[in-house]
Amino acid sequence: MLGRSWRLWAFVPLVLLTAVVALFTAAGGSVTGLLGETAPPLDEFDIRRVEFHPSEIRIRVTNPQPDDLTIASVTVDDAIMPFDVEGDSTLGRLRSSEIVVQYDWVPEEPITVGVTSSTGIETTEEIAAAVQTPQASARSFFGYALIGTLVGIVPIALGLLWLPSLRRAAPQWLAAFMALTAGLLTFLAVEALSEALELQAALPSALGGAGLVLLGVALSFLFLTAISTRMGESSGGAGVSGLALATLVAIGIGLHNLGEGLAIGSSFALGELALGTFFIVGFMIHNVTEGLGIASPLAEGRGVSWQRLAVLALVAGAPAILGAWLGGFITSDLLGVVFFAAAAGAAFEVVVEVGRYVARRAPGGLGSPHVLGGFLAGVGVMYVTGLLVA
Amino acid sequence: MPKFTRKQILAGAAPLIAAAPLARLNLPGHSHSHPSATHEGHNHPTLGHAAMIREHVPAPGGPHDLDKLLYPPEALPYKRGRVREYELFAVDKTIEVAPGVHFNAWTYNGTVPGPVIRATEDDLLRVNFVNGGSHPHTIHFHGIHPSNMDGVFEVVPPGSSFTYEFPARPAGMHLYHCHATPLKKHIHKGLYGAFIIDPKEPRPPAQELVMVMNGYDTDGDGGNNFYTVNGRSFYYARYPIEVKRSQTVRIYLANLTEFDLINSLHLHGDFFRYQPTGTGDYWEYTDTVMQVQGQRGVIEIDFANPGEFMFHAHQSEFAELGWMGFFDVKDE
Repeated sequence: MLGRSWRLWAFVPLVLLTAVVALFTAAGGSVTGLLGETAPPLDEFDIRRVEFHPSEIRIRVTNPQPDDLTIASVTVDDAIMPFDVEGDSTLGRLRSSEIVVQYDWVPEEPITVGVTSSTGIETTEEIAAAVQTPQASARSFFGYALIGTLVGIVPIALGLLWLPSLRRAAPQWLAAFMALTAGLLTFLAVEALSEALELQAALPSALGGAGLVLLGVALSFLFLTAISTRMGESSGGAGVSGLALATLVAIGIGLHNLGEGLAIGSSFALGELALGTFFIVGFMIHNVTEGLGIASPLAEGRGVSWQRLAVLALVAGAPAILGAWLGGFITSDLLGVVFFAAAAGAAFEVVVEVGRYVARRAPGGLGSPHVLGGFLAGVGVMYVTGLLVA
Repeated sequence: MPKFTRKQILAGAAPLIAAAPLARLNLPGHSHSHPSATHEGHNHPTLGHAAMIREHVPAPGGPHDLDKLLYPPEALPYKRGRVREYELFAVDKTIEVAPGVHFNAWTYNGTVPGPVIRATEDDLLRVNFVNGGSHPHTIHFHGIHPSNMDGVFEVVPPGSSFTYEFPARPAGMHLYHCHATPLKKHIHKGLYGAFIIDPKEPRPPAQELVMVMNGYDTDGDGGNNFYTVNGRSFYYARYPIEVKRSQTVRIYLANLTEFDLINSLHLHGDFFRYQPTGTGDYWEYTDTVMQVQGQRGVIEIDFANPGEFMFHAHQSEFAELGWMGFFDVKDE
């Protein structure tokens, strides 16, 4: 009976919704008025980033609430300072502006900045130690790249050098090392997920916090599922193994290192991180296991050329450089949430693939002592070496 | 167990061997052992006192907005029993205390502080008070008067009125404020003002000014966000008070700052005589004077030099949050 016009019926709920919404916005005040007075907006600013330059402080503020928010007065250490605003002084929902204050800040001493709204509500941010924000210069570019290389590429390349030893190992030990890879990736996935959830708590709730994390996780999980299915099909439907599996592991680790690089870069730029040698060395030791994880799937089957190995090391390690650049020069908590969520999703997916591989190839199956022990070893080593950088 | 060849052992140990020299790598930004050269010879603007005058100062409003609060009415000669009548109207008003910052105040006659009330000793002071605000209010005067004129027991509800009437005593500098409960709120929201009682023997002629020190807690956290004299932060830094060097400057100073234990006034470049409460023969000779909430006094300055002289609270925090101004002393 509906015939061809059934498609038009699909629009009916949308049209009616528009009508109801229009009616409510026109008469809404009188409806909520029945309940009594609504509370005024909180008028708190979201102080996103405070940068220290020679004789200048730059404060990036966002309006996290639906109502407009106006910047009226700025204080530094409880003293009113003249200021300029790059952008509008009246911020709409989720809009940002940058406040520039001429101020001779004292290096390495605590400092508090305050932004007061037109309704007199002051939002303050305390910086534990004022450090000059690294400028985007060739030198700092190189510096972050060097950090990314040391923390990402070098340990992974070193870990890959275990490949010759792995090729000589017996099948149950291979299965154990594959399980170690799975344990390692599970550790990374959980770590990334918790990092993403922690960062999302600091975002304005208007950005959808936890939902954004889930979105990121799901997107990367399904994306990698698609890639690994394609890879599996091209190898004759036997599932992913060998170089293909190693590549997936490298991608998962690479995404995680992207998030790690971002975290290191932004922590350093904001003066929150004392980037000592201890920290860098700790990270290198922590990430060497990742190289082992990439090498494990390559232990069986055909040999792999040095060039292929180098590419794998780059895929897994180079994102740390990109992350450090982004974190150091841009510092966006939103980027951090997205990167870590994607890293978690990718890592979880690769764990599934490795699990399938182990189930197929391990003597004694998924429940054999080598596999279980290997998994625990993976988680354990990552945990212990992770304490070096905690 | 698989046999390891020498090649394999080296291959396996390579990661550990390579790591050793890296442990001694000294990375940029890691050690703060050098004294940091912060300014590198930059031309940074000095942000000391001197920069914050006239156009550089963030203060709301125009040049003569607060004249009625700064310049008191004339002193009248002694005449026992003369009636001095004032109309005070309590009204809720949102005022601009700093540029762009608005405070929901309770005011007498629309200003914070309220109007200057002046009488001569033994005048009959009559203040007709009408409460146009949203809360009950009173007026409590500092002075000598009967207890039913004290502004404590006869609370005036919104819409009602009350007439305070009593002989003006003693001579000196006093103040008035609301005494409805909660006391802290009724004061800090702006219900206060200066109350001058001139002595029988008139004071020598002088350029007379009234200054009421106060603060505003705009975000309700129990601490003042802005400090002012006569109601607007940094106002007299932006619009310096012009005075002549040829005549004494007399300031009737009162402290109605809530939340902070004391306030103060410090004058640059000169000294002044200070008479606590404006009564008695004791005069202090100083450049910095301290007052608790409710204290007040008379300052007399004979400027030695012309020019711009800063005056401010000597609690530096108050000065940097708005309680700072300038005298522009002209050689006339």
